[in-house]
Order: sequence, then structure tokens, then C-alpha cells
Amino acid sequence: MRDFTFASVCLRMLLAFLAGGAVGFGRAKKAQPAGLRTYMLISIGAAMSVLLPIYLFEMLNGPWADVTAEVGLKFDASRMASQVVTGIGFLGAGIIMKALHQQVNGLTTATALFATVCMSLAAGAGFYECVIIAAAVIIVVLNVMAPLENAFKRRLRDITIGVEFTCAEDINTITDLMKQQQAQIVDIDIESTEQKGGKYPSAVFILKLSREKHSHSGILSTLAELPCVRSVQELIS
Amino acid sequence: MLNFLNPLRGLDAGTVVLRMLLSCLCGAAVGVERSAKNRPAGFRTHILVCVAANLAAMTGLYLYLELKMPSDISRISAQVISGLGFIGAGTIVVTRNLSVKGLTTAAGLWTTGIVGLAIGSGYYELAVIGTALVLIAETFFGMISARIHRPPEYTVELAYDEKTSLENVLRLCKDQRMSIVNLRVRTIAVSADDGAQYTATITLRGNVETDDMLRQMRMMHGVVAVAAL
Repeated sequence: MRDFTFASVCLRMLLAFLAGGAVGFGRAKKAQPAGLRTYMLISIGAAMSVLLPIYLFEMLNGPWADVTAEVGLKFDASRMASQVVTGIGFLGAGIIMKALHQQVNGLTTATALFATVCMSLAAGAGFYECVIIAAAVIIVVLNVMAPLENAFKRRLRDITIGVEFTCAEDINTITDLMKQQQAQIVDIDIESTEQKGGKYPSAVFILKLSREKHSHSGILSTLAELPCVRSVQELIS
Repeated sequence: MLNFLNPLRGLDAGTVVLRMLLSCLCGAAVGVERSAKNRPAGFRTHILVCVAANLAAMTGLYLYLELKMPSDISRISAQVISGLGFIGAGTIVVTRNLSVKGLTTAAGLWTTGIVGLAIGSGYYELAVIGTALVLIAETFFGMISARIHRPPEYTVELAYDEKTSLENVLRLCKDQRMSIVNLRVRTIAVSADDGAQYTATITLRGNVETDDMLRQMRMMHGVVAVAAL
């Protein structure tokens, strides 16, 4: 099946289609922007982009061998596949969007599409064992790791908090409260100081909580109780 | 690779016509399904992308096979793949509530372009297999995709004047096996004698009788008002 025959081409296309679908299925269930079809379509395209240069190489050494003998062989079989990598990079960039408090949405989807495409390139090349292992790894990373990662981050002493407040002077009140909670302020990033267009002044605080008081929900609710605070949000990227 | 097609893989007037017709056909087959759903890229867009990719691939072949230029026949085709990535990125729309539209269209357009490249290179059977799989993905798996069970999301506005209320409400949600997707707390009114009043916007995901849950929330101590959005 490593040989380039009609049957092996069908098998490779089918493998890419199914492996892409397997990754997409888990994402669709979680109501992510890219669903089952997107993953399948992109996998088909990527597998074709590897099969196409293999076909061209066969032709250059077979029916078109006379031209090759005359002009010389100038051919790079990896060229098309390499452009798939950049092409899907662009597509991924289209999904990534900026949210409140310098947060970014869609990054996981973009990278999942990217990983799926790279897996399908392997499928097109007939690197079957790699495809099966890659599909398993991608599915595990996407579906099992997210809750683990979040749970881990919520236990850390480091916390990033996005706060909206009434006016610029409130930053002092907020930092005072944080110090009172024995939190060490690592960084403050003030996003805006004026109230305009229904948006309140806001800032992002990066804190290192004290060893004794390191409950994330504790500091969040303490901050929310301040009269000047309009909203509090833990930022988990 | 099917060897009996080999006479058709070279470049002459007949095979050029064949390639153009086949690329129109494959583009149309994919585009019709998109058009029927009134998506941004329809019938014509898909045909154009498929025909254009076909032309690019044919030109690459022509330079090498007919003009005998020392060039890589796959270079032009390769750039089509990344170029279509740009066009695809343009069809993606980010809506106001930070969701994405047009991603399936972008993916379909990109794959249609690669089908066009296969036709232009004379690899007809791959183009046909590719188109068939695309159609299966868009129609059959489109139906499956719509039926994949997604736990619905609810957004609840909660007004309360006692800070422990929020904790109790969140505990109720967890008891009902709802997962909390998003939580925003705001202080709305403060006066010396009343103390602070807070509102919280909670986004939840899960299967639950919402009316019943809202009633339970309303009865909680310190909760002033609850509304489902």
C-alpha cells in the first residue's frame, strides 16, 4: 500500500477523510467554531496536495520522460505540501479574534485545524502509522487536556484578573485591597482610563497570591465586593 | 493511478477543453450545495476557483512540457494553495458575540481549488475522488453535524444583595450538573444604608429544566431577581 496505485490512493484519501472527521467530531460536540465538515474538507484538500506531486513525479519519469531527458528534472515533490502549511496558517489567522481584556479567542481551533492538516499530509504520503498515532494524540490533547489544564491553572498561586471599574483613581483602591490580601502585584496593564461608549475603564492585573490565601475565587469575590468595581473576571488563556 | 487515462494527461487542444469542462463540473457540484444554503460563496465562486486553479496548473505544465523551460511544474500550483488560504480567510466573519461564520465555506473553497489543481495536472481520478468526498462531507456529514448533540447554553442574569447568594446559586448549578461557561459580576447600586447590590451574568451549559432551576434560584436567600436571557 506504499506503492502508488489507484487502490492505495483511494485508501489514503479515505484515511485522511476519516481521521479528519474523527478530530472534527469531538470539536463539533463542544460547539466550537470549526465543526465536522470543516475538518473533513481540509483533510481532503491536504491529502490531495501530497498525492498530486507524487503523480507528477510518476508522470515525469513515465509518459513525460522524454521531456525530462531533454530539459532535465527540476522538481520538488514537497513544494505543494509546504504551501498547505502556510495556506492553512492564513485560514487559521482568520478565526483568531480579540476579546475583552487582551484575551484571544479561536486560537485552539486554529491550531487544531493546523494539526489536522499536517496529519492529512502524512495520510496523502502513505505514512499510515503516523496518521493513526497523530489522530489519537490530537484527539486526546483536544478533549482530555483542556479540563486538566484549567484545573491546574486554578490551583496556581499566579492569577490574571481583568477588572472593570468606575474611574481611573479606583486603581489605587483595587491595588490597596490586593496588597491587603497579601497578593504580590507582578504587573498591571491599564487598558483604558476613561468611560466611553458604554465601556468602563479596565485593567489587567497579574498577581502572585500569598501561600496562605491562594484561592482564586476568594480574591475574585473580594474584589467584586468593592463598590467601585464594575466587573471581575479571571483570565485563563 | 489509472494508466488507460495517460493519453489524456498531456496538453493539447482536446485535453485543455476536457480539463476546462471537468473543472467547471467539479466546481459546480460543490458550489450548488453551498448556493442552496445561501452561503457567501456560491455556484460561480466555486467554479471560478476551480477553473482558475486548473489554469494555473496547466500553465505550470505548459512551461515545462511544451516550452521546455527548466522550471518546476508544481511551483505555480503550490502557490495557489497558499493564495486560496488568503481568500478563505476573507470569507470568515467574526460576529459580535465572538463566534465565527463562513469557516466551512472557506474550507470548501480551499479544497475545491486543490481539485482544480489536480484536474489541471491531468490527475482526473484524484479530482473525482476528491469531489466525491467533498460532497459526502458537505451533504451527508452536514446532516450528521447538525444532529450531534450539543448541550444547550443558557445565560442567566442574577441580582442579589448578599454576597453569599452567588456562591449558593453556583452550587445549585453544579448540583444540577450544569457547567459554568462564563461569569461576570458587577456592582450596580450602593447606598449607605442598603449596602451594595450586585448583578451577575452567568452562562451555563447543560440539560436541565430551566424554569424549575430559575424558580429555585428566586427562592434563595438574598436573591433579588433572576432572569433568563
